[in-house]
Amino acid sequence: MISSVQMASKSKWALILSAVILIVFFLVSILAPWIAPHDPIQVNLAIKLSSPSWEYPLGTDHLGRCNLSRLLYGARVSLGFASLIFAASLGFGLIVGMLAGFKGGWIDLLLMRFCDGVMAFPNLVLVLGIVGLLGPGLWQVVIALMMVQWVYYARMIRGMVVSMKEQNFIAAARISGSSTGKIIRRHLLPNVLPPIMVMGTLEMGWAIMDISALSFLGLGIQPPTPEWGAMIQEGKAFIRSQPELMIYPGLMILFVVISFNVLGESLSERLGVKRRY
Amino acid sequence: MKKFKSKKGLLIAFITSIFVVIAGCSNNDAASQSSEGAEGAPTSIVMSWPRDIGSMNPHVYNPSQLLTQSMIYEPLVSYEEGGKLKPHLAESWTISEDGLEYTFKLRENVKFTDGSSFNASIVKKNFDTIMENKNSHSWLGVINVLEKTEVIDEQTFKMVLSEPYYPALQDLAVVRPVRFLGESGFPEDGDTSKGITEPVGTGPWVLEDYKKDEYATFTRNPDYWGESPEVEKVTIKIIPDAETRVLAFEKGELDLIYGEGAISMDSFNHLKESGEYKTDLSEPVGTRSLLLNTTNDKLADLKVRLALQHGFNKEAMVDGITLGIEEEADKILSTNFPYTDVEVEAIEYDVEKAASYLDEAGWKLPSGKAVREKGGQSLELELMYDKTDPIQKAMAETLQAEWSAIGVKLDIIGVELTVQIERRKAGDFDVDFWYNYGAPYDPHSFINVVAEEGWGVSEAHSNLPMKDELDKQVDKALASTNDAERQKLYGTILKTLQEQSVIVPVSYMKKTVVYQNGIEEFVFPANRDEHPFNEMKVSQ
Repeated sequence: MISSVQMASKSKWALILSAVILIVFFLVSILAPWIAPHDPIQVNLAIKLSSPSWEYPLGTDHLGRCNLSRLLYGARVSLGFASLIFAASLGFGLIVGMLAGFKGGWIDLLLMRFCDGVMAFPNLVLVLGIVGLLGPGLWQVVIALMMVQWVYYARMIRGMVVSMKEQNFIAAARISGSSTGKIIRRHLLPNVLPPIMVMGTLEMGWAIMDISALSFLGLGIQPPTPEWGAMIQEGKAFIRSQPELMIYPGLMILFVVISFNVLGESLSERLGVKRRY
Repeated sequence: MKKFKSKKGLLIAFITSIFVVIAGCSNNDAASQSSEGAEGAPTSIVMSWPRDIGSMNPHVYNPSQLLTQSMIYEPLVSYEEGGKLKPHLAESWTISEDGLEYTFKLRENVKFTDGSSFNASIVKKNFDTIMENKNSHSWLGVINVLEKTEVIDEQTFKMVLSEPYYPALQDLAVVRPVRFLGESGFPEDGDTSKGITEPVGTGPWVLEDYKKDEYATFTRNPDYWGESPEVEKVTIKIIPDAETRVLAFEKGELDLIYGEGAISMDSFNHLKESGEYKTDLSEPVGTRSLLLNTTNDKLADLKVRLALQHGFNKEAMVDGITLGIEEEADKILSTNFPYTDVEVEAIEYDVEKAASYLDEAGWKLPSGKAVREKGGQSLELELMYDKTDPIQKAMAETLQAEWSAIGVKLDIIGVELTVQIERRKAGDFDVDFWYNYGAPYDPHSFINVVAEEGWGVSEAHSNLPMKDELDKQVDKALASTNDAERQKLYGTILKTLQEQSVIVPVSYMKKTVVYQNGIEEFVFPANRDEHPFNEMKVSQ
């Protein structure tokens, strides 16, 4: 008894804390142009690798660019594009999942076997392959991640729709003459969305990791735009004299990804969402 | 699968924090472990190398490593400081008046490690197998003009060229392919391109033990004809990662780290400043340059090219990015190569001059805009760089920032090295990084690619008004048999190239070495690809 109460309160605090952290990060990324002390791509070799000062609170990188400004603008790229990937793959997954689940038959078969095919590959390998074909660049990475992620949404939505379709409230709606569109809009969507949002929260963390990983490999964002993964890559050459060049962006990724994970986990616990992966 | 993924997330997050710990620890390591290397100091040397040494076949390229090929096999002539050529396996040579016949008097009493003696017929046998695979060696000028080889007598060998080609002897000094394998190393059909039976050479070192991707040990050749090296044994450990090499060095497992890019500039300075080790920088091995491609209409205008060169602070860029290890370059070729001591006027950093050049060329800055325009076109260029090269990347970003100040928009794009080379060869670029070949290949290989198409450099120069004349001068210089005439031609060619600013010299690249105090003397080999072990002195 007690332990379950403790669990609940613990997860409540975890939820609030992670939500607050994420809200702060989102605010930072939106407000970056106003709160960043410097232009993040302003090169000034005269002050390269300088230590923290009032003017450069976190010092400067190997080209004399303000580290703090680069981190703040980096949040923009990571969170912005992760949200974009989330929204786009959710949208696409929703359409495909609904269609497959609701229509059934050969459409279902075809779409789901395709999803199985995509899921059979390890994600990152597939993404690397697609980026390899499209060429390096942030938009290519976004497209590649989208192409890989939507199948998970589609699978999950399709599963929920199939089980819901047989339930009485859908049958009632159908008998009372609702159109397919109306059933989807009014009855299926509201039931499908909460668990999907939970899943999406976890996926956001993933998208951020993937964007950073690909940028670290030089496939994602192209310089000079600041991005956390790319910043770690650049800092690698100075691991001895200036390890903080790697540590700052590393910590950023750590906080954001952990927050997304904790938020997702505690949400799924509270909403009683069973994750089917 | 997804569940696994979320755990992986935490894992990766923790790896990041482990980096923090490693970075924190490494400083302490340096202090506590450094004494080890000094006291051992045997006459055996352990060095690291990033790649496996390969098959030790003198006539093939990658994955065989130049370093170890040069330990086992020897050339007819050797390349010394400043481009001088010294007799090596050839005691002396004569060149006919017309520059077509080279007669070598071979050194006597030279034995291969299989006991057979070095003579004209084995030299011919090696030349024959090289010429059988002429296509894979055509980058080397002498191979293209080699008509036939002859055995005159036991110790006399003759080489006949189809046309005069003055750098023939320099080309014979390179590490591969013109070095000599002993009789018992040849496969049955005599064609070494598919492999050799064993590495039999005349060199001062003999391969003793070898484990692929792990290590190779070399001992002194007991029957070496020349002066034996002081070091008795050389072990080459294969360590692919640069930071791992540095850690192994600090622990005393390595006696030296040597090579180009074998160690990051940050680590080099760190080891140097620690005061615990000896470090050294070589003479320039090559020039890091920018190629401005004149097939692009915007870059075909000399004023634009000059403006770009005036428009960036070279000294600050080179010093800042290479941490003082490379040297600012004003000349396309550094003067430690033959025929390169030519007076040139350095193009100084001058933003105003750059702007006025662009104005003169018709590229005006419309009010309220940041990029110059002419006839509705904006002054936008693309620079490609090798994305795995941190120096190229940092320089690309610096140039982008600096040139934007004079109203030039530079798009920088990171590509794979193979893509960069392919695009360069096809002449498909606006601005690119380029390096000359170094000793013993330059300056003749350099002027050769200025004239010869297929390497990107000639393509980049193709819209110069004097290109035809330039090509003729290059051909004349390469075929010239008169030293004074050659010097004059080189002077004219280099002056033209320098004035035309298609090649923008940026910095002189140098080799680095860090070594333990047990090594008393380290000398950089004059030939860029040779090993450094012969001259090395160690304390007993």
